[in-house]
Amino acid sequence: MSHTRLLFLSFVIVVAGSARADLVNKNVETVVDISSQLAKISNKVTVENVGKTTLKSLIFGVPAHLKERTSFVTAKVGEHLLRVTETKLSGQDGGFWKVDLRSDLAAGRTLQLNIDLVLSRALVPHPGQITQKEKQLVLFEGNVYFFSPYLTEKQSLTVNLGTNSVESYARIQPVSQSDNKLNYGPYEKVQPFQEERLNIHYENNSPFLTITRLERLIEVSHWGNIAVEETVDIEHQGATLKGSFSRYEYQRESQSGISSVKSFRTALPASAVDVYYRDDIGNISTSHMRVLSDSVELELRPRFPLFGGWKTHYTLGYNVPSYEYLFNQGDVFVLKMRLMDHVFDDMYIEHLITKIILPEGCHSIELSAPYAVERLKDTLHHTYLDTKGRPVISVSKRQLVENHIDDFELRYKFAKVLMIQEPLLVITAFFALFVLVIIYVRLDFSISEEEEHSRVDREHKDK
Amino acid sequence: MVTSAALYHLMWMINITIDIRNVCVFLAPFFSSLTTIVTYLLTKELKDSAAGLVAAAMIAIVPGYISRSVAGSYDNEGIAIFCMLLTYYMWIKAVKTGKIFWSALAALAYFYMVSSWGGYVFLINLIPMHVFTLMVTGRFGARVYVAYCTLYCLGTILAMQISFVGFQPVQSSEHMLALGVFGLCQLHCFVDYLRGHLSASDFQVLFKATIVATGTILAVITGILTITGKVSPWTGRFYSLLDPSYAKNHIPIIASVSEHQPTSWSSFYFDLQLLVFLFPAGLYFCFRQLTDANIFLILYGVTSIYFAGVMVRLMLVLAPVMCILGGIAMSGMLNRYMKDVDASPVILGMPAGNLAQGKQGDKRSKHKQESNFVMKSEIATLFVAIMCFFLISYTMHCTWVTSEAYSSPSIVLSARSHDNSRIIFDDFREAYYWLRMNTPEDARVMSWWDYGYQITAMANRTILVDNNTWNNTHISRVGQAMASSEDKAYAIMRELDVNYVLVIFGGLTGYSSDDINKFLWMVRIGGSTDRGAHIKEWDYYTPQGEFRVDKEGSPTLLNCLMYKMCYYRFGQVYTEGGRPPGYDRVRGAEIGNKDFELDVLEEAYTSEHWLVRIYKVKDLPNRGL
Repeated sequence: MSHTRLLFLSFVIVVAGSARADLVNKNVETVVDISSQLAKISNKVTVENVGKTTLKSLIFGVPAHLKERTSFVTAKVGEHLLRVTETKLSGQDGGFWKVDLRSDLAAGRTLQLNIDLVLSRALVPHPGQITQKEKQLVLFEGNVYFFSPYLTEKQSLTVNLGTNSVESYARIQPVSQSDNKLNYGPYEKVQPFQEERLNIHYENNSPFLTITRLERLIEVSHWGNIAVEETVDIEHQGATLKGSFSRYEYQRESQSGISSVKSFRTALPASAVDVYYRDDIGNISTSHMRVLSDSVELELRPRFPLFGGWKTHYTLGYNVPSYEYLFNQGDVFVLKMRLMDHVFDDMYIEHLITKIILPEGCHSIELSAPYAVERLKDTLHHTYLDTKGRPVISVSKRQLVENHIDDFELRYKFAKVLMIQEPLLVITAFFALFVLVIIYVRLDFSISEEEEHSRVDREHKDK
Repeated sequence: MVTSAALYHLMWMINITIDIRNVCVFLAPFFSSLTTIVTYLLTKELKDSAAGLVAAAMIAIVPGYISRSVAGSYDNEGIAIFCMLLTYYMWIKAVKTGKIFWSALAALAYFYMVSSWGGYVFLINLIPMHVFTLMVTGRFGARVYVAYCTLYCLGTILAMQISFVGFQPVQSSEHMLALGVFGLCQLHCFVDYLRGHLSASDFQVLFKATIVATGTILAVITGILTITGKVSPWTGRFYSLLDPSYAKNHIPIIASVSEHQPTSWSSFYFDLQLLVFLFPAGLYFCFRQLTDANIFLILYGVTSIYFAGVMVRLMLVLAPVMCILGGIAMSGMLNRYMKDVDASPVILGMPAGNLAQGKQGDKRSKHKQESNFVMKSEIATLFVAIMCFFLISYTMHCTWVTSEAYSSPSIVLSARSHDNSRIIFDDFREAYYWLRMNTPEDARVMSWWDYGYQITAMANRTILVDNNTWNNTHISRVGQAMASSEDKAYAIMRELDVNYVLVIFGGLTGYSSDDINKFLWMVRIGGSTDRGAHIKEWDYYTPQGEFRVDKEGSPTLLNCLMYKMCYYRFGQVYTEGGRPPGYDRVRGAEIGNKDFELDVLEEAYTSEHWLVRIYKVKDLPNRGL
C-alpha cells in the first residue's frame, strides 16, 4: 500500500515538476484562530532538503473540503513575502499552492517558513436557527494535520477558540483543553496528504457579517480631489433568527441577541473629509466619526440591529486629496490606491467591484493589480461638462478578506492642456447665451408693425 | 411627476448627471420661484408694477405657500399653484386684450394645472363665475366672449386627455357651471345680436320666452341625465366644501384627515399674519377702481377665503390671492403717503413706471390737502414707519414660522432631553428600511392608510390602502381588522392576504399622533360600511363615554387587535420614573391589559423607541396541532 502510494506520489510530483519527494517537513507548528467569523491558520514550517539536488520551490495545500473556502494564502520567510501561485497536483482534489523560494535550498539545508491561510465560511452555524435569547454555536471542520505532499516528522496544533464553552471537539489523542485553547499533538510521522477531520462545535458570538457585494467607486479629478464611494450590501450570515424579535428583551437583557450586530467600525484614510453615510432613503443619523492620527474611524450603526439572516445596504463616501495618491511626470500619471478598503475587522467580502473613473481625455491606461483580478469591460461615464465621456476601469473579484487590502497601480497618459477644456466650455456657453440675448434685444423680429403704430398712437395722445 | 422626469432627462441630455432624487427635492423651490414671478406679472396686470413687486415679495415668504414649497416637499400642490396663477395671468391677459393667442395659452396652462392637481375644479368654476359676474354687471363683450369660448373649448378637450379626468368635464356636476356659462355666453351673444335687429317691445317678448324655454329645457335635461346616471351625483368632497358639517356627519373618512378640518382663526393668522388685515384693504382698493380684472380678483379672493375656511388644506389656494390683495393694499397705501413724506416735489420711493401718473395726481392732491392738513409730512412719515414696522414683523413672522413649523421633516422626529441636547427619533425610516431589506419582496403590509405612501416609497412593499385609496370599503375593511378581536381580525387578514401588520405607537416616547389616538377614526370608518356594521363606536367608550386605555376602558377596546399590537409586552416597560410599568405617556395612564400573548401574530420588528411596531401574520396552524 505504502509502496504504491509512494510510487504514485513520486509520479505526481514529477508531473508537478517543481517539488521533489526529497523534501521533509521537520517540524510544523500550526495555530488555528477561530474566534472570529474567519478561520485563520498560521503554520510555522521547518523544511529540510533531504534529497541531493537544489530546490527552488515547494508545495503545500488544503484538503478538498476546504479548497473552495480558502480566501487568502501567503508564505513568508522571516519578513519577506514569497511568491505564491495556485497549482494542481493530478490525482489530488485538494487545493495546492507553489511557493517560489527566494534563495535556492541546497541539499541538506533547512529553511523556516510561515505559511498563513485564511478560510472564510469555514464556520457553519449549528444549529442554523436560533431564537433571540440563544447563543450562537458554530461548527468548524478543519484538518488536524498540515496538508502537504511531503512527510511531516512532527506537528503540533493549537486552536484558539476565544471562548471556553465548547460543545464537542475531535478527540485525536493527544489532546487537551486549557481555558479557551485546544492543544493537539504533537503527532509524529504524518504521512503526505493525510486527512483527519478537526471538528469543533463551540460558541462563537462574534459578528458573522458578510459583505455580499461591495462596489467601490473612485473618481479622480486632476483639480486635486479624489472622491471615493462605497456601496455595501451586508448580510448577517450567522444562525438565522427563529421566531419573533422582541425589542423589550433586546433592550432589557444584555444577553439577548448576543450574536446580533449593533454597529461596526470602519477605518478610512487619515485624509478623508466630507464623509457621508446614507442609504436609499436618506442620511442614516446613527453614526459617529473620530479623527485619529493615522486614520478616520467611523462607528457605523445600521438603522436596525442585524440579526441572523437580516440584511442591510448603505453607501459610504468621502473625499481625499489627490496629492497622496496621484503622481505624475509630464503627461504620465500614476494612481496608487487601495483596491479595496477596510469595512470592519475580520470582514469577508463575497464580491468586490472596483470602478475607477478617470478624467476625460485619459488614454493608454494600464492597470497592475496586487493579485489576480478579473478586469471588466471599460465603459464611459458621462457627467457634468463632459463631451465624449470619462473612461471607467472596472475590476471584479470574489472571496476577499482583510488581508487583501493592498494598492493597485494605474498608469495613464493625460495632456494637461485638456484641463482648461471644461472652463472654456462654460465660458463659451455663457458667451453664446449673452450674444443671443444681445441680438434679440437689439433687433426687432416682429413681422407686422402693429407695435410701432400703437407706440406712435400713444405718443400722439400724450402730446 | 412628468415635470420632474422631463427636467431630469433634459439635464442628463446636457450631461448634468443630477440624481432624480435631487430633481424632486428641488422641484418645489424651483416652481415656487416661478410662482413669485407669475405673481408679479399677474398683479401687474391687475394693478400696477409697484403692487406686483410687493405681492411677489410677499408670496416669496408667505408661510401658507412655503408649507408646500420647501425643498423636499415633493407634492403636486407646489406645481399646481404655479399653474393656477399662470392660468389666471393668461386669462386676465386674454380678457384684457381679447386675443385668441392669450386664451389659447391660458388653455395650455389650464391643461398643465389639470394634469397636476385635482384642485383644478376650483379654477374651472372660478373663471366661469368671473364671466357670469361680468355678464350680470353688463361688462360682457366680444373680448370676454372670445377669451372664454376659446379657453373653455380648448381647455376641456385638453383636460379630457388626462385619463384621471376622462369624461368628467361634461358629466360631473362639478364642471356644470363652466358648461352652463359657456351656453349662456352663446345665448348672451345671440340675444345681443337679436337686440340689434329687433324693436324693443318685440325683443322683450322674445327675451322672456327664450329664458323660460331654455330654463325648462335645461332643467328637464339635467333631471333626466341625473336620473339616468349620466351626470354623476355630487361627490362627497364637494358637499363638504359647500357645507362644512356635511363630512363630519356623513363620511368619516374625509373628516378623519386633519387637513380637511375647518380652519381655525389662529391658523389663518399663523399662515398669513399681516395679510389677514391687508385683505379687506386690498378688496377696498379693488372696488374703488372696478375693472374686469379686478372683479376677477375680488371673486377669487372671496371664494378662496370661504374655501380656506372650510378646509385647512385650501389655505394654499388662498395664500396667493392674499398676497396679491395685500400687495395692492400695501402699495396703494404707501403710494398715497410716500409722496407726502418729503414736502419737496421730488418723489422718492416710487417705481419709475408710476412716476408720470404720480406727478399729475400729486399736483392735484397737493392743492386740496395743503389747506386741510397740518403736519402732513409728519403724519405721512409716521404712517410709513408703521407700515415698515408691519412689513418687518411680517418678515420675522414668516421666517419664524418657516423655521419652526415647515422646515423639519415630518418623518424624523426630534425632541429635547433634560440636558437640552437633541434626541433624534429616526424610527420611521428604521422600520421602513427593515421592511425593505428583510421581508420578501412580494410581502403585503397592512397599516392604516396614513402610512401608505411612506411604506410604498421607503419600504418598497405592497400595501393594502394608501393616501390615494378611493375604495372606501377597502379602507373600512382595514379599520374593521384593527378594531376586531384577534380571531376575527385574523379572518379578515387572511381574506386580505396580509403578511405583515404595521402600527405606530407613541406611548413610550410621547408621540401623540399615533394609531391609538387615530383609533376612533378607524372604528368609525370601519363601522361605516355594511360588513362592519357590528363595529359600533360606543363599544369602545367607557359607560361614562370616555375613551380610556387603562383598567377602566371598555373591554372591547382592551381586546381589539390594535390595542394588543400597540401594547404587546409594553406592560413590563418602565417609561417614566415614579410610574408603574406600562405607563402610556401619551394617554397619561397605566394600560389596562398587560400580560397577554398574541396568538395569530408574532412581533417581527419594533423600532428603537417603539414608534413603529411590525408584526408578522402567522400561517395557518398545521392540521392536528
